[in-house]
Amino acid sequence: MITARGLVHAYGERRAVDGVDLDLAPGERVALAGPNGAGKSTLLRVVATLLRPQSGTLALMGEQLPGGTRAARQAIGYLAHDPLVYLDLTARQNLELYGDLYGVDDRDARIDDLLDRVGLLGRAEDTVRTFSRGMAQRLALARMLLHRPRLLLLDEPHASLDARGAALLDEELLAATSDGRAAVIVTHEVERVARVADRLVVLRAGRVVLDEPTAGLDPMAVRRRYEEVAG
Amino acid sequence: MALVRKDLRLELRTRETIVAMVLFAIVMLAILQFGFGTRDDDLTRFVGGLMWVTLAFTAVLGVGRSYVAEREQRVLDGLLVAPVPRTVMLTAKAIAIFLYMTVVEIVVIPLVGIFFVKGPYWDAIGWIAIAAVLANICIALSGTLFSGLALFTRARDLILPVLFLPALVPVVIAGAGATHAVAGGPHDMSEWRGYCLFLLAYAILFALVSVATYDAVFDD
Repeated sequence: MITARGLVHAYGERRAVDGVDLDLAPGERVALAGPNGAGKSTLLRVVATLLRPQSGTLALMGEQLPGGTRAARQAIGYLAHDPLVYLDLTARQNLELYGDLYGVDDRDARIDDLLDRVGLLGRAEDTVRTFSRGMAQRLALARMLLHRPRLLLLDEPHASLDARGAALLDEELLAATSDGRAAVIVTHEVERVARVADRLVVLRAGRVVLDEPTAGLDPMAVRRRYEEVAG
Repeated sequence: MALVRKDLRLELRTRETIVAMVLFAIVMLAILQFGFGTRDDDLTRFVGGLMWVTLAFTAVLGVGRSYVAEREQRVLDGLLVAPVPRTVMLTAKAIAIFLYMTVVEIVVIPLVGIFFVKGPYWDAIGWIAIAAVLANICIALSGTLFSGLALFTRARDLILPVLFLPALVPVVIAGAGATHAVAGGPHDMSEWRGYCLFLLAYAILFALVSVATYDAVFDD
């Protein structure tokens, strides 16, 4: 689903992503960890097609970028620090907007289903401005899942989700393997994400310093392994 | 249409942009009225300039607010990661700006007649409206492009007028010329037609420039 070779993205002189290779197969879930400033979020934004790499090649779902960017975007579900929803629209209006942008066929039924799953069906007609941070992030989870993306890109998702949202996210991630979806989860909570990820990739100073499977490992063992390489 | 509907829903809920634009235009007309003379003075020969200077500055105000919701509510990434061609985003934003300007002109064009014109004016309203529609297309396309460019700069509130106002100069010249040709005296339709053709050509030029550059504005 992701084939990246030698990806570089720099902010001025500083290379935030410095020659990263990354492969992700259908059904795989990768925890992407590293200290602050390691380049995790920048790498995720490059993969999400929000930043163009200055060098290197990137293919998503078999589509070489930038040529296949639009097709790749159709398959991406992106969950960021911010919910990426309009505060002055209602929860339903936000999902209607994204449903139309992604061309979701069963938009209204899908919206009702997702709002119910994230526990916001009763607040569907309320503006997001009246929501708590956790509720807004649950709506963001519904937004991300709305178009049934095949590649989930999550930037520290557990940091802002409340317990209900986090449980739903974990459920979605665990279901990903069976239906061929893949996920990249940027995280500081390595031991938490180790429960749902089957690979750990660690970045330091924009470079991959660890890429190994974690399936079957105790979450604390994954944490210790991370600390060994992350410094 | 989803993006246009979104902009209109936001505007209907907050009423921030259109109300501010209309009030700004009315205040500016009042300032010009006092600045140029008294109600007894016949300012008919200045009517084109007075109208289009007012509309140009009002456009700067409106265009400056065109990406405020995306910027302040941090939604832009959500739109950019969606599989929507950038030209569709450009068109949607341009349609919203066009509609806002149309509302402003529905107020401003009659008010200009009341404030400044002594002679016949009302029978020229239709011809002025046609020129205004063409000018709005120019304003909407150039405004969307420049507000997109300014969006990614730090001093965006300063950069936008610096970029946008020079692009509006031809629109003001042609809009004022077309208005002057039909307002306050015998209609000079050939002059009016010439200015309208100029506005049409300018709109086509900006449409081409926008389509050619808008991907780069958002992706680079």
